[in-house]
Amino acid sequence: MEPIISAKDLKKVYRVGKVEVPALRGVDLVVQEGEFVAVMGPSGCGKSTLLHILGGLTPPTSGHVCVDGNDFSTMNDADRTRFRRHKIGFVFQRYNLLPTLTAWQNIAVAQDIQGDGFNPHRFEAIVTMLGIQDKLGRRPYALSGGEQQRVAIARAVICDPKIVLADEPTGNLDTENSQMVLNMLRELNRSFRQTILMITHNPEAAAVADRVIRMRDGRVIYG
Amino acid sequence: MNRMILANVAHRPVRTAISVLAVAIEVAMVMVVVGLTSGLLQESAKRVEGIGADVLVQPPGSSYFFGLTSAPMPIKIGDRLAEIPHVQAVAPALFQMQTSGGLNVIYGIDMESFDRVSGGFAFHAGGPFTGPYDVIVDDIYARANHVKVEQTLSLFDHQFRVSAIVEHGKGARIFVPIQTLQDLIGAHDKASIFFVKCTDPGYADDVVNNVHQLLHDYKVLPLREYERLMTSNNLPALNAFITAMIGVAVAIGFLVIFLSMYTTIHERTREIGILKSLGASKGYIIAAILREAALLCLVGIAGGWGGSFLARKIILEEFPTLTVALTTAWALRAAGLAIAGSLIGALYPALGAARLDPVDALAYE
Repeated sequence: MEPIISAKDLKKVYRVGKVEVPALRGVDLVVQEGEFVAVMGPSGCGKSTLLHILGGLTPPTSGHVCVDGNDFSTMNDADRTRFRRHKIGFVFQRYNLLPTLTAWQNIAVAQDIQGDGFNPHRFEAIVTMLGIQDKLGRRPYALSGGEQQRVAIARAVICDPKIVLADEPTGNLDTENSQMVLNMLRELNRSFRQTILMITHNPEAAAVADRVIRMRDGRVIYG
Repeated sequence: MNRMILANVAHRPVRTAISVLAVAIEVAMVMVVVGLTSGLLQESAKRVEGIGADVLVQPPGSSYFFGLTSAPMPIKIGDRLAEIPHVQAVAPALFQMQTSGGLNVIYGIDMESFDRVSGGFAFHAGGPFTGPYDVIVDDIYARANHVKVEQTLSLFDHQFRVSAIVEHGKGARIFVPIQTLQDLIGAHDKASIFFVKCTDPGYADDVVNNVHQLLHDYKVLPLREYERLMTSNNLPALNAFITAMIGVAVAIGFLVIFLSMYTTIHERTREIGILKSLGASKGYIIAAILREAALLCLVGIAGGWGGSFLARKIILEEFPTLTVALTTAWALRAAGLAIAGSLIGALYPALGAARLDPVDALAYE
């Protein structure tokens, strides 16, 4: 079966002033549809850069990336934006909810951007699964960290993306809330065969995944 | 998107209020400045129309705006004008601008001939001139300046007795005997204009042609032509003033919206990064920002319309002799200018927001 993510010799070099900083030095990666993959590695090893490239937030400097049949080498910025809108859901460590909107509006804004209109059945199913039905009228400042992250997960999956990319989703949470968020990601993966790529420093969090990939110095060293 | 825009607007009430206020000031300023100038001209033209003349005869090089040029011509010309066929009556008048106690054009008139052309004043109180230093004022001037019959008015450093208060609408608000004004300004046997009444208004063009043959280079106009010419377009300095004031008003609106949206974008860099991570296109980001600016602008326009009527009420209470002509056409033009200024002001920040790198924006603290 064709993998949903395949990356070959992926490189990314950032330019800081006149200095070139290599973030990825040739990553090879394959993820199958429906897999829950954890990416581990020390800070600065290129995990977040890999996530940003796979999510189409930034282009690679060189190498080949194909996500759900989309070859990034042939896509411009607008193409990658369109791809992200329909195929990718992001979950961030800092939740990244829009502070002026309620939880309901934060979730609905993803559907508004996608442009397919509001789907009440999927909305109901997602918020019920994440247990945030009674939090929907609240703004982020009135929600706990765990609740904010659940809203962020709901926003990430509301448009039924092919892939959820989670960047340290439990990094700002206590043990109880971390476990709750991980259980929900696992549930999403099992119930909807949702492909998930999760960056984490936490071995306990990584243990929830089907497979763990380890990175160091901009390369995949295991997995 | 609309909910997000409303939430953003409500999230920063002071910024919203200042932006709305700037647009409101812009709209009200345009409407009131234009309303004041066009009101002044319209009201002035209406008063000249109220004299009842069919043809106006002015010396060469004089202005349509009475009082700007006294430009005297020999008063004897009036006798020759009276001989032209179909002329029923001719009334000379001498104009003099007075700036003390407000801007007023004072008419020096010959009561008898002026009555023949105008049909006579409608007296509210008092009666015609009985002495050289008598003055007649209209009811609006009297009300604005609390003037009563028999009191004295200081004009050209002389004390005048108020002989009458008359119904407004006969040219000027202040009338003095023409000979007195001639003496005071050193224009003996001179007049600034002749108001000519025809035996029938239909003869106005014939009379104009005959006057042209008699007085080459003189400015001779049928009254209907005069009314048409009484616009700011025929007074370049006034037009320049209006344009400058509109420019200042539009600049205020543009700059405030520009600064408001620019700082907003700076403040919301991370939120823009979030929208981009959700797949928001450049068009979506630009549309959201322009719609927000348009919302601020629309509320400001409504406020400006209301503000202009409030300003007119205050102006008329403080200065009853002024006229502020607020028109639908200029209300729409002011709104159009405000919308254009606001959208142009918001466009640069919007383009900047659309160009933000999503990774940098998400990392913005």
